[in-house]
Amino acid sequence: MVLSGRTEAFEPLVTPYRRPLLALAYRLTSNREEALEVAQEALLRAFRSLARYDVSRSFRNWLFQIAANEARDRFRTRTREKAALENAARDKPPSAGPEAGRERQEIRSDILQCLAVLGPLEREVFVLRDLEELDIKETARALGCSSVSVRVNLSSARRKLREAIRNDFPHLWEGR
Amino acid sequence: MTCRKVKKLIPLCAGDDLRPRLMTEVRAHVDSCPACWKELEEYRQSMSRLKTAANAENVPDWSEGEWRALMAHAIGSGREVREGGMDRRPAFLAQPRWAAASVLGVFLGLAVLTMLFKDGNLGQRETSAAGEPSVVSLTLVSQETGLQVVWFLDKNFEWKGDKN
Repeated sequence: MVLSGRTEAFEPLVTPYRRPLLALAYRLTSNREEALEVAQEALLRAFRSLARYDVSRSFRNWLFQIAANEARDRFRTRTREKAALENAARDKPPSAGPEAGRERQEIRSDILQCLAVLGPLEREVFVLRDLEELDIKETARALGCSSVSVRVNLSSARRKLREAIRNDFPHLWEGR
Repeated sequence: MTCRKVKKLIPLCAGDDLRPRLMTEVRAHVDSCPACWKELEEYRQSMSRLKTAANAENVPDWSEGEWRALMAHAIGSGREVREGGMDRRPAFLAQPRWAAASVLGVFLGLAVLTMLFKDGNLGQRETSAAGEPSVVSLTLVSQETGLQVVWFLDKNFEWKGDKN
């Protein structure tokens, strides 16, 4: 219905993914405010790109793909900005700014702390494959990489997480 | 398959993410190797516990206000795009060239009709002995240049000649 121009039908279409989409964005960004921005932008982009949606594909996976791309774009932008700031402040004495405080405050859940040991692609692969249960092919499609790359990063992510749980989260390791 | 090779594949085996042929080989080895079996179980348990913890975790949700505002924004922007993109004028008026051509066509059509039905110009008939017209003449006059063309047609409306 949305594809035929009934914009009002968009809300019922996306409402079932309202919370999963935000949870995905939160696990990719580790920050509620940023997750909200990512999820909002993903929904707006999805709305604008509905004409290009391949109806043979899962709508949820398509939505997740848009959100993952948005989170990755933001991560890259933030990394560039951070590098520029660090270059500019190289001569200044180190001090914990409000950003650092916010990061510390945000990383409070076990899951987010575990995910912090992963690299960006490992994290995306793990979240999509193991937490959101996309299959390898869909994960590769969502992240715009090959199935081989997904398997390599997934293997590495599971290995790192197992070590992190065993060493730093005994309650998770023991299943408490 | 050796333990060393299997250990590399165990993280993927734990989530059934190996290709079928490799999966069969790894399973065959694991079934006969207690050390690899133990490692595989550890991976499975760590994955399962992470997933359980993730499901139990209190992830943020939209406030109703945030969600309503977002939906209103999306639907509003969609309407703007739709209405902006949909030109309500007829297609032939959307482009200036077509509009000019249409106006010219209408003008010429009217001019021809005017000439056809104008008194005195709608054929001067020559009647045959039987009283039926044998030749029909049709005079076309250009209003712009004053040029006159007379067409002669027989009773079957076949063209017989013209005169400037």
